[in-house]
Amino acid sequence: MEKNILKKDHVRPFLRKLARNSRLIAPLRTSHGDLLYQEIESIDSSEIDLSEQPQESAKQFLFPQQEQLFTYQSTSNGFTFSPRKSGMPTVLFGLRSCDISAILYMDVIFLRSPRDHYYLQKRKDTIIIGIGCNEPWDNCFCNATRTGPFLEIGFDLQLTDLGDRFYVESGRAVGDEILKKWPQFFSPVTDEDEKLRYQLMLEARSGFKRHVHVETAFQKIADNSVSPSVWEHLARRCDGCGGCAYICPTCTCFTIFDRPLSPHTGERLRTWDACTHDGFTRMAGGHNPVNTATDRLKRRFMHKLYFDYKQFNRPGCVGCGRCVGICFGGVDIAMFVDMVCAEKRDQRQNATVIGDLLIEAGLITRKQLYKALEKRDRTGMPLGNILMEMGIVTKEDIANCLADKVERP
Amino acid sequence: MMETGTMRESMRNAVTDNVFMPNETVISEIIEENSTIRTYTLRFTDRAAAFSFLPGQFVMLSVPGHGEAPISISSSPTSTDAIQLSVRRAGRLTSALHSMKAGEYVAVRGPYGVPFPVDELKGRDLLFVAGGIGLAPLRSLINYCRAKNGEYGKITLCYGSRSPSDIAFKNDLDAWQADGSVDVRLTVDVPERGWQGRTGLVTTLLDDLTINNSNSSALLCGPPVMIDAVISKLKESGMDSEQIITTLERNMKCGVGLCGHCHMEGVLICKDGPVFNVRTLENIMGATG
Ligand SMILES: Cc1cc2nc3c(=O)[nH]c(=O)nc-3n(C[C@H](O)[C@H](O)[C@H](O)COP(=O)(O)OP(=O)(O)OC[C@H]3O[C@@H](n4cnc5c(N)ncnc54)[C@H](O)[C@@H]3O)c2cc1C
Ligand code: SF4
Ligand code: FES
Repeated sequence: MEKNILKKDHVRPFLRKLARNSRLIAPLRTSHGDLLYQEIESIDSSEIDLSEQPQESAKQFLFPQQEQLFTYQSTSNGFTFSPRKSGMPTVLFGLRSCDISAILYMDVIFLRSPRDHYYLQKRKDTIIIGIGCNEPWDNCFCNATRTGPFLEIGFDLQLTDLGDRFYVESGRAVGDEILKKWPQFFSPVTDEDEKLRYQLMLEARSGFKRHVHVETAFQKIADNSVSPSVWEHLARRCDGCGGCAYICPTCTCFTIFDRPLSPHTGERLRTWDACTHDGFTRMAGGHNPVNTATDRLKRRFMHKLYFDYKQFNRPGCVGCGRCVGICFGGVDIAMFVDMVCAEKRDQRQNATVIGDLLIEAGLITRKQLYKALEKRDRTGMPLGNILMEMGIVTKEDIANCLADKVERP
Repeated sequence: MMETGTMRESMRNAVTDNVFMPNETVISEIIEENSTIRTYTLRFTDRAAAFSFLPGQFVMLSVPGHGEAPISISSSPTSTDAIQLSVRRAGRLTSALHSMKAGEYVAVRGPYGVPFPVDELKGRDLLFVAGGIGLAPLRSLINYCRAKNGEYGKITLCYGSRSPSDIAFKNDLDAWQADGSVDVRLTVDVPERGWQGRTGLVTTLLDDLTINNSNSSALLCGPPVMIDAVISKLKESGMDSEQIITTLERNMKCGVGLCGHCHMEGVLICKDGPVFNVRTLENIMGATG
């Protein structure tokens, strides 16, 4: 694949040509000082800012927070449904490696059978120009999810910031074409550029401030050795606001609803939804198969770190660290992984220690423990009493387990 | 046979590429099954939009202005050019539907989901166990088996209702008994004056039966507590969990594996289900304790 140098002075004229008939998305600073990927109205009066990780991912440009699916109109002889034409050629410029990896993840979810028409319409004419991260930010852990700081695939072009110029490599045929089509903006790569880039990549890899052991967490979940107290602890701090899901570049759940616009017309919309909302799984009549905050968090983290791993051989988290910054309860995925990995017996709460000991002794199953914990949350009864009431263990069982524990070194 | 449904689905989607678009149907008949359940016969106004399906599959039903809901097809695929949906009034959309009359329009998209394994069930005795509205998807399969004269073994239905006046699908129950095609057994939770039949949970009906476990399959649909009780009872009596087949209900928004609402332990109920055999369910749940 082709490599070239793009002088920083040339970025603006290059984008002017490349995005002439497209919507152009790139990181811009707002008047409040936030850095966000935004649609650029005029390239000449906008200052693209590639100095840091944008606060939100680029998810919304392929999968908008709210999107019309179609309008309906009812008449005396039936309905007319008019689907929304949702495609437009798009250039995504300056995407971080995590955000590109998240698009690859969305491709898997939305483009397997059956394909999501609205996503496909936007995705199929999208050019992705990424930028590697020379300096990972405080919460980043894409090294652990293997989604950065530089990518091998997934981009059309990938930039590396060499100071006054970008090193540009093409990752796909589309990228090659772009480089060929506008040679006036590009110059050949020198040995010195190669060396500098190599050096920067090495430094970036060793520049992570956080070490989030995602694979260890997967293994622990797979071995069924995550103590219920971890989920519980996190659940107590979760307010179910859904912020983590909205900010997450790989959270793709949505809900569908109708909005009447007049007695005979209206639109069907979809909006982002979050599995941490208690209504997410509630059914008519109030029955809810995922009924507690513990169950919901378990579902969320298991999905990203276990089921996605099993199904796609990589986690559903791209290590962007955004949920770390957004959750005011500190219930983020990095915290979860840290807790799972750091877990030590003496840090656990008493009640769940009993639960875990009973499981270890083979006297109860994990499922029975969760049931009992759920009841404890509802009634405030001590866990041991609940398990006895459920007829699963006897007083002696509990006493023996605790005695064993005391004797242990 | 499970493959056929999925293959058909992917072929159809190749043609109409936007799965979210519903197809208009007209309500041609309404049967009042009980005070809260009605069966709607729907005809596609564009005949090209009609689809073939298998028992156990469902559609996303639209009442524009009120949204969509997953509803099982309760008619048999052997009766052509219209489908029937039996709908219990439960909330917003289902109440809107219940206020509609024959001649009015609704819309559907589908069929979705894995159907009952109709081929694997051939030659076997079939024990149907249903509670309330749960008979809807089983009705499709029962009528399918009846139409395939002789291809299936003995058919028994144990059907539980809340009270005698809540017993739904009376026309069907009568017809099945009248032609002897189904051994129908009823029970109610709460008897009323004049009720001479059984009282008690549907599991009590199972006590009366002698089931030939080597050649029987059970098909269950109803409230979760009923399903759990029936599964343990059948397993206790020696039935292999692979021969116990049930359907799972979850909140569903898309019906096609995109929206994430029906995710359960790595499985999407709308796509990988809603029909599962209990062995598979045990494996799914067992995987994560
Ligand atoms: C595969 C499947 C087959 C079904 N078959 C039938 C059937 O044949 N007959 C029947 O009467 N009912 C059936 N149901 C249940 C039916 O879908 C709900 O009763 C219906 O969604 C309630 O919608 P509502 O708007 O009236 O209720 P509301 O409580 O107002 O629901 C609001 C929204 O929540 C969601 N929702 C609520 N409850 C359920 C639920 N139980 N399942 C899925 N989504 C839900 C729906 O999107 C609904 O639009 C089936 C459910 C599933 C999953
Ligand atoms: S789970 Fe958190 S860190 Fe992982 S991709 Fe989502 S927002 Fe980023
Ligand atoms: S209902 Fe949307 S994924 Fe199953």
